[in-house]
Amino acid sequence: MSEQELRFTQTHEWARLEGESTVVVGLSSHAIEQLGDVVYMELPSVGAEVSQGQAFGVVESVKAAADIYAPVSGKVTAVNDAVPADPDVLKRDAYGAGWLAKIEVAGLDEYEILMDADAYKKFVETQEE
Amino acid sequence: MDNEMAVSRKTVLFDRHVAAGGRMVDFAGWRMPVQYQHGIVAEHLWTRKHASVFDVSHMGRLVIRGPDALAFLQRVLTNDAAKLAVGESQYTIIANEAGGAVDDAYLYRFTEGEYLLVVNAANKEKDWEHLQSHLAGFKGVEMTDVSEPLAMIALQGPRSEEVLAAFLGLDVPPGGRNALFTLTARGIDFQIGRTGYTGEPVCFELMFPSRAACDIWDALAANGARPAGLGARDTLRLEAGLPLYGHEYGIDPQGRQMPIFACPLARFGVSLDENKGDFVGRRALALQYDALKRLDAGDASGLDVLPRRIRQIAILGGGIARQGATVLKDGRPAGVITSGTMAPYWKTIDKCEHVELTEESAMRAVALGLINSRIGVGELVDIDIRGKAVAAKVVRRNLDSGKGRFAVPILYSE
Repeated sequence: MSEQELRFTQTHEWARLEGESTVVVGLSSHAIEQLGDVVYMELPSVGAEVSQGQAFGVVESVKAAADIYAPVSGKVTAVNDAVPADPDVLKRDAYGAGWLAKIEVAGLDEYEILMDADAYKKFVETQEE
Repeated sequence: MDNEMAVSRKTVLFDRHVAAGGRMVDFAGWRMPVQYQHGIVAEHLWTRKHASVFDVSHMGRLVIRGPDALAFLQRVLTNDAAKLAVGESQYTIIANEAGGAVDDAYLYRFTEGEYLLVVNAANKEKDWEHLQSHLAGFKGVEMTDVSEPLAMIALQGPRSEEVLAAFLGLDVPPGGRNALFTLTARGIDFQIGRTGYTGEPVCFELMFPSRAACDIWDALAANGARPAGLGARDTLRLEAGLPLYGHEYGIDPQGRQMPIFACPLARFGVSLDENKGDFVGRRALALQYDALKRLDAGDASGLDVLPRRIRQIAILGGGIARQGATVLKDGRPAGVITSGTMAPYWKTIDKCEHVELTEESAMRAVALGLINSRIGVGELVDIDIRGKAVAAKVVRRNLDSGKGRFAVPILYSE
């Protein structure tokens, strides 16, 4: 999956529209690189209702713990349990096999306002200054 | 404004860290590598099975000499320095009068007439002031800060002795833990101790003139030791249950001073022998020790001076108990996590006479906590992790460093 097809949040999640109303969610390569070795994760339950910006998961490295925020509001329809079982997949394929959850959305307004890949790249650069 | 004060210092090995892909962070006023390219988990595992080099030059190194040096050390340190023969070292603590720690330290006696005290980087200035304040009564003592001219590298892990022998081009003098030796090799004068902060049974700390540091670092790496950063140093010491000042010594999260005997390692670092004489903190420490002995005998009446103790904890449920998390006993707060992490380990196979490390690794959460002194080893507690009560067990240790060449993980279940 190319970065160009993804949207991003300021909290370093990525989102991708699948079909007409499903948003696939994961963590950006930048976030994973910054965290270092991911050693523990908690993902939401299937069926959970989440709202945009809500903490709905946890990712922990040896040195740090970070919340995972829902990039859009909706109902969680699938979670990728393979990632907590083997977090190394995040390093290998953050934008493909490293997806974390799928959220069924009622509309695309929230998705559309997320940053595109170029805007996110600039955002990360300003954060590093 | 004096901007230089705010700029972190670099050890003599700074360029080596950057070249090895070190992720540099500010630590205790120094720019130090938290990890290199392989990451904390790989560095931890490599240390347990092979050998790693750690730059510990940021730590403080003080030389104490003169006719009154021993009397002075007996006064300001908790352990019995008179028991150190030339070629020996000991764990010790710099105490205050109230029985709390100013710092914990290692005292080395490499040669006659001179002692070397290694202290925590973050505490060096404070230690120096504290020690100076007690120097007045001792005329014949000279204390010198040799942290800059003398660099320090830790070489730790089961293969570290062969790495060291290959590097020096000679057999490493035999000796048990804390044994010291000095030698000249490759034209460099070395002071070497069988000491360390990783829980590894085979371990060395090398001190030598700073100008040789880069060559030594490179040569140790060429002989099979990999660089490991502060991140692995922390997970290794935590898995081994070793205390860190600021976490297990010093001020607790409630702002109270932790008694030195709250830390199990204090039993090896404090001497209340008559021959040791009076020393800073002795009266308070004697009360703490008395409370500890009574508690061992089932009498909890002296616990006003030792209400909580540092314990090793194995996390049984999911999650990582981090510093500051509340420890619960039967649903009620009973303490606080002082250090916690996820640590990797090699899975083991029991071969009747010994234990072997396999090629397979896994992760487990381990912690140190300051908990109610009445809670004993083997008892179940819970840790409040993000509002969830996660099962945990108070354990004697999470790592067995005493069964030969390899440190072996000890795993627990409910």
